[in-house]
Amino acid sequence: MGDDRNRILDLLAAGKITAEEAARLLDALEANPAQAAGAETSAGTGAKTGWPKFFSSGAKATERTGATGTAKFMYVKVVSGQGDNVNVKIPLALLRAGLKLTSLIPAQAQDQINKTMAEKGMAFDLNNFKPEDLEELIDALREMEVDVDAANGDKVHVYAA
Amino acid sequence: MKCPPYAMSMRIVDGKCAKFQLWFPLFILWPLALPFLLLTVIAALFADLFSLISLHKPGYTRFLFGVLGTVSETRGTEVFIQDKSHHSRIVAFTLR
Repeated sequence: MGDDRNRILDLLAAGKITAEEAARLLDALEANPAQAAGAETSAGTGAKTGWPKFFSSGAKATERTGATGTAKFMYVKVVSGQGDNVNVKIPLALLRAGLKLTSLIPAQAQDQINKTMAEKGMAFDLNNFKPEDLEELIDALREMEVDVDAANGDKVHVYAA
Repeated sequence: MKCPPYAMSMRIVDGKCAKFQLWFPLFILWPLALPFLLLTVIAALFADLFSLISLHKPGYTRFLFGVLGTVSETRGTEVFIQDKSHHSRIVAFTLR
């Protein structure tokens, strides 16, 4: 465990991981030494190997985003109890562009959309979308990870990497 | 601005019997889409002009370019569906 801690600190000193990632790894090391060792190795090699292979599973957010901590894609992975698979890889830039698009909708059209959505029971005001909030939202999406394990064996995993 | 998707690939495998593979160069559609795009830009500019005249905030042209930007950002999208209950059918779709 002492070696692992030193390796994390070395990676931090070499600038391969950020202080935030180092803190997370150290926290994980205290909670589960074996798992943290794997995450640390991944973070250290992230800069050399590039982005992880499409739909690699079982990885944690810190190890997936690699040394730079900049996720490029959002992954949605669904595995049903019967063995059916659905994997979707969406560029985060597409999400950003899509969200920005809502702020570019002309005012008259926005009012009409808001009115129609309110009629359908969705009190959702598109005027509230501000460009500065979008960047914050995208950054939050990079850190997002959703894991759903249904009782019938269906699994849904949503994450950014 | 990023360039729009230049290729699309699709693969459908139905068990061991049927297989369909398509790689379509979307860039050959770009010249065909250009006249339509120009007409749309002109229409959006007119809409903005009328918005200005009627003292509304113009935004149709910006919205149109926003749509183009969003389409361009679809590059890299990948979809993979495997249906094991129907002869392990696989549908894969990629935009490059």
